[in-house]
Amino acid sequence: MSRALSWRAVGVWVLLAALPALPFMSKFYLLLAFDALLFGAIAMSLDLLIGYTGLVSFGHAAFFGLGAYASAVLLERGVVSLWACLLFAVLVVGLYALVVSYFSTARRGIYFALLTLIFAEVVYTFFRYTQTFGGSDGIQGVPPPRLVGVFAIDSPMRNYYLVLVYLGLAYLACRVLVTSHFGKVLVAIRENEDRARFLGYNVQRYKMAVCMISALLTGLGGALYPGRSAFATPDLMLWTVSGEFIIMVMIGGLGTLAGPVIGGAFFVLLQEKVSSYVDWYFIVIGLVLVFIVLFMPKGLLGIRELLGGRRWRATA
Amino acid sequence: MEYVVSILLPQLLHGLVFGAALGLLALGLTVIFGLLGVMNFAHGELYMFGAYAGIAAIGLTGSFWVALIAAPLAVGVLGAVTEVATLRPLYRREPLYGLILTFGLAMAFREAVRQIWGGDMRRILPPVEGSTPLLGMTYPNYRLFLLFFASALLLGIWLFFTRTRAGIIVRAAVQDAEMLDGLGVNVPRVFTLTFAGSAALAAIAGLLLAPIFTVYPQMGVEMILLAFIVVILGGMGSMGGSVIAAFVIGLAQSLLTLWMNPQRVAIAIFAIMIVVLIVRPRGFFGREGVLE
Amino acid sequence: MARDGVVLEVDRVSKSFGALAALSNVSLVVQAGQIFSVIGPNGAGKSTLFNVVSGLHVPSTGRVRFRGREIAGLAPETINRLGVAKTFQITNIFPEISVFENVRVAAQSRVRESGRLPSLWRLPDVEAAATDLLRAFGLEAKRDEMAENLSHGEQRYLEICLALATEPTLLLLDEPTAGMTPGETKEATALIRQIASARGLTVLLIEHDMSVVMGISDRIAVLHFGEKIAEGAPEEIRSDPKVVEAYLGPPED
Repeated sequence: MSRALSWRAVGVWVLLAALPALPFMSKFYLLLAFDALLFGAIAMSLDLLIGYTGLVSFGHAAFFGLGAYASAVLLERGVVSLWACLLFAVLVVGLYALVVSYFSTARRGIYFALLTLIFAEVVYTFFRYTQTFGGSDGIQGVPPPRLVGVFAIDSPMRNYYLVLVYLGLAYLACRVLVTSHFGKVLVAIRENEDRARFLGYNVQRYKMAVCMISALLTGLGGALYPGRSAFATPDLMLWTVSGEFIIMVMIGGLGTLAGPVIGGAFFVLLQEKVSSYVDWYFIVIGLVLVFIVLFMPKGLLGIRELLGGRRWRATA
Repeated sequence: MEYVVSILLPQLLHGLVFGAALGLLALGLTVIFGLLGVMNFAHGELYMFGAYAGIAAIGLTGSFWVALIAAPLAVGVLGAVTEVATLRPLYRREPLYGLILTFGLAMAFREAVRQIWGGDMRRILPPVEGSTPLLGMTYPNYRLFLLFFASALLLGIWLFFTRTRAGIIVRAAVQDAEMLDGLGVNVPRVFTLTFAGSAALAAIAGLLLAPIFTVYPQMGVEMILLAFIVVILGGMGSMGGSVIAAFVIGLAQSLLTLWMNPQRVAIAIFAIMIVVLIVRPRGFFGREGVLE
Repeated sequence: MARDGVVLEVDRVSKSFGALAALSNVSLVVQAGQIFSVIGPNGAGKSTLFNVVSGLHVPSTGRVRFRGREIAGLAPETINRLGVAKTFQITNIFPEISVFENVRVAAQSRVRESGRLPSLWRLPDVEAAATDLLRAFGLEAKRDEMAENLSHGEQRYLEICLALATEPTLLLLDEPTAGMTPGETKEATALIRQIASARGLTVLLIEHDMSVVMGISDRIAVLHFGEKIAEGAPEEIRSDPKVVEAYLGPPED
């Protein structure tokens, strides 16, 4: 088809749109589906950094949480327009991302990992201990946002379609991005950063740009969250959440777009099952990460490659 | 004057004490990063294991001093096993895999400890009690012991790295890992031993600080963040830089606590890091390396 | 394209790393269209010189002028955009993408949109330029292979393709024939000379292989322990006693 869209992607999206029509889709499952698609989209935007550019962000939860808080703060004060929430989230997350990406990309790759982590921890600490934002309870009981007029996104079904649109648009944007001039340079930076520099590319600028794009996409996702949960808490910004995002990308497969979406959905569903055995949930997550890195570095979609399927690696 | 003696001076000493232990922790990180190219996100958990292994040892033998030997040994072995089983396969791959793997290990280790020992805070009683009159105030003996012990250890490590053949080789390799190949050294064994050593250092730091701070599964998380800041400030790959930066951070943390509550202190330390990164992007002692 | 006149001027450049003086007061002038070789024993400072010119290092003292413009201390990407392209002594390509993609991404850096907003969605068409380069070096058949699967000699060629794709005026070749067989070396030498003259390039070359150096150079400079000990046409250098001594040690008494 075109660079942006394949028939397969359109097909999947249409199927997802029909999902709520299935008989067993109770409110509970709709919310679960919401989470699956939301985190899938976030994982996809994180993969722009990890899989395409080779930069591991250990602080992506901060972008997510900031987006949620931005939205919640407005909703709590009676500004219920969805567009206002999204716009404000873009502003807040954009500003934070600008600062983080500037410092994190100034030097070699490892600084990115360390600094994204440190920045995220500071943000978490700030929100956890600042009473204006509710401290450890966060902002609770916010009203649902309104799309237009009095049409509010106040049911699991509406939230689901909202996030489906978000996923679709995010996917489009990412597809165009990774098949463009910019996307090719990202891959070059991942493969050999020094060489890219000596070919005339201002590598820091590219890294900052992709970090900001990834952050904004994630922040927009976060802005949608209070509509579903009616709250925003500091726990959204825990570094374990950042770890969960990373797992989603790893499960799905580095360097692809559909992979992390599948990985995110898979993880949400897995988590739902596993956390009923709540206690050693984090041991499972940790070991899953270790296992994937050692034995399945290309993720689920990579398995497909091993079995002789098409190459999914991110390039032409 | 009263203020200086009874408030400021103890805080200064607290800072040095903390800085010395932080130095042990950060040094291990720096050496591993320089030599193996791995930033060990599970380092804070090795620190935590040191404290918990200490609790176990004290439970068995009733002696802190036995624990001081047993805990680092046990954690060192754990480190060696971890390195061989999980890190060795990754050396040929891109560094991001090592980061993600150690991050996963950290999560698993933390939760495992929480399962075994519970999430409650625990205490290790200081083996040495009482305080000594010092410079016009009295200072807890245990902290004095910690300061001397940690400093002696740092000194011993410094001697190792500058006076012994093995140490000189490792130190040079920290700055340029490829040179090891040309020396006919058993590289995998050096890697494993060094990793084990760094784990043991982290464990000692964990055990030493346990009687001062409490012991709980998240204790490694805060320390590792500080250790990262230390390593960034000290300049990547500079061992001396890490130790010096550790003392600086230790002192800064200690003094700032006089005027701010703990959360603000954390943010203030972070702000210091940002300022240093703006003014001196390479850290205190970073060298002009490849495209720095 | 190169103009008549001086393309590169290294003006009393010194570079120290801590206590180690890698370069001491080195000066040389490279004219347009020349193939200028820098030789010397290991550790003489040849790669350091290249690194200073290409922007990896900032000289401790001295200046570097490219087509009259001061470039010492500029970032590597800036220097490349001004027209200086470097190959690496140890092959430095993009391993896990195809050969064609390697050259394509290099050629792409020169399109108008590069570094601007439209590059986020546009994909410039540099297929022709990339294919031409591959063809010139005989790599066209391998265009879909992963770069890391190429033979060593082919990878060295790919190195040069990458540098050439950025349309340089001055090409810095750091031991381009390192690790090649004698047959490959001969072929590479002829190819370099041909391409340099076809594209009007000025070439600064580091080489260890004397047959290459003597066969291809218009002018040679010899470095030893960071200092320039001789400079001249190949015949002069060949018979210069200082040069012989540097390579073979002091004459035996």
